[in-house]
Amino acid sequence: MGQRPSITIGRAGLTITGALSLSELEQLRDAFDSLAREPSEEVTVDLEGMEASMASAEAAIYGGLRKLRQAGARVMVRAAPDGFLERFEKLEKELCPEARPRLRSRTFSWFEDVGDSVLETSATLRGLAAFGINSLLSFARVVFGPGKLRWKEAFYYMEQAGVKAVPIISILCWLLGTVLGYMSGFQLRDFGAETFMPDLVGLSMVWEISPLLAAVIVAGRSGSAFAAELGTMKVRQEVDALEVMGFDVKGYLVVPKVVALLFVMPFLTLLADLFALLGGMLIGGWYLGMPPEIFVQRLAFVLLPIDFYWGMGKSLVYAVIVATVGCFMGMRVRGGAAEVGRSTTSAVVVSIFLVILADALIAILFMYVRPAVTV
Amino acid sequence: MRSGPGGSPELIRVRNLRGGYGKLLVLENVSMEVLEGEILLIVGRSGCGKTTLMNYLLGLARPWAGQILYRGSPLVFDGPSSLTAVRRRWGVLFQSGALLASLSLLENVALPLTEFTELDASEADLVAMSKLALVGLEEFADSLPLEVSGGMQKRAGLARALAMDPDVLFFDEPSAGLDPVTSGELDELIRRLNGDLGTTMVIVTHELASIFAVSDRVIMLDAEEKGIIAEGTAHQLRDSTGDERVSAFFNRRPVAGGAAR
Repeated sequence: MGQRPSITIGRAGLTITGALSLSELEQLRDAFDSLAREPSEEVTVDLEGMEASMASAEAAIYGGLRKLRQAGARVMVRAAPDGFLERFEKLEKELCPEARPRLRSRTFSWFEDVGDSVLETSATLRGLAAFGINSLLSFARVVFGPGKLRWKEAFYYMEQAGVKAVPIISILCWLLGTVLGYMSGFQLRDFGAETFMPDLVGLSMVWEISPLLAAVIVAGRSGSAFAAELGTMKVRQEVDALEVMGFDVKGYLVVPKVVALLFVMPFLTLLADLFALLGGMLIGGWYLGMPPEIFVQRLAFVLLPIDFYWGMGKSLVYAVIVATVGCFMGMRVRGGAAEVGRSTTSAVVVSIFLVILADALIAILFMYVRPAVTV
Repeated sequence: MRSGPGGSPELIRVRNLRGGYGKLLVLENVSMEVLEGEILLIVGRSGCGKTTLMNYLLGLARPWAGQILYRGSPLVFDGPSSLTAVRRRWGVLFQSGALLASLSLLENVALPLTEFTELDASEADLVAMSKLALVGLEEFADSLPLEVSGGMQKRAGLARALAMDPDVLFFDEPSAGLDPVTSGELDELIRRLNGDLGTTMVIVTHELASIFAVSDRVIMLDAEEKGIIAEGTAHQLRDSTGDERVSAFFNRRPVAGGAAR
């Protein structure tokens, strides 16, 4: 049993004796703090009586010595144990920011960070493009060539991504149609133009919001699920196993998911359209006193069949984006479980970004394709 | 066909292989051969490049330089499907078993059969069941991988690797995560399958007990040399006095001045 530990503040400084343990840490810190508050020019820390102590006690002494130095005192350590001061100086060099050579200015580092991000993003996009092309080739092999499409899996993903998404898409689009109908009716009523509310709800929902919202929900539900599933398979070496068995991994794992989304997305979009219009119709009757038949007549006048087909058509583009990005993010997982989480997040963020980008491009194209309707 | 030193025909030959990760060079100028019917163990300390070498042999990564020949023909790494035909003659047991979690053990074993042979589903199931019986798992055919123990997953992985009657079986750390008894049983199974079927086996491991239990020939890699430092039977390498690193490894002795990696 070692000597009872004691920490004493004297005229010259601090004297530590005995074997320190965790219970003395607070007392040790207080002692150094009180010395650092009113430091004399020179402070002696006497360790002659200190016995082999816990590493955390040694670390607390290091911290105290640093505080004293920072307070402007010249610190003398008396009878330090073997290697104590060397370890302290080494730590000071590694931990103290002033002691570290400053290689880069903050501005330079900012530019460097931006450069790194640009390089990383361009590498990701290149990887995504290559993955997309390879998946397209596998898709062609499976659909038109000798490959077999795994219909069982495709139906499974249709159920997961399509059937199970029906409630959430229906409710959200109904709510959005209601809100849009209410807000536009509220504004248009001031001008006596509330009869145009169905135009606004119908065109904005069918052209833009319903396909986009359906794609965003599918990206959040299924794009992330695809990334997590494939990422976990990568971590568990299942993908490697398929590859060395001679499987076309993309044809086996990616194509059924793409096919499933290609099948379900147009229907989800149509469903989103219908529920949004239903929401608009209900709020029109309740808030503006517009009979449902007038709402429907107005819709029939302003909406063309091409508007629905166009929304369903562009949902096919979104389906390819969501499925490909989800699978790509899953397949690029290297390492462990944390990487799976990151890839899942990236799958959602990147696919929503690309869906909105594609939507903007398609919207410009649409202006040239659609015949104008005169009110 | 060329012959190896023991007179057996040479199945795989590696010539001047060089490779690594990013800028890190792991293997340099590695040359070796795998002889038909033998059990070859690739051993070494952690980080010496065993798994890297295995990945190159399996075509899961592309070496920086060098050549791998299978039955005298070079493996071509020019696309995902270029190795497919060769790979179907190989079986692989990964460290984790790598069974597809959504399929039962029987479906996992039947997977390559239904995909790459003309067998119909019932015939494929029959063959798969016989492979499961070979590893003593016929009673668990309908279980999902997560419903059986780690050792059983590995045995099922082995049954799947055997499904296509491969020319060569690769094992990546077969004993990893197994208790000594299960590990011993797996070693015995490997030895029995090699005896009964004559399948060539390449095993990457650092388990001393497995090395002595199953190996015909051993190749030892070293991280500093970035290549092969010794070759022979396990007993020859254990008793060799030429290289301290080899002797230390086979006698479970710390290397002077060496820190654990």
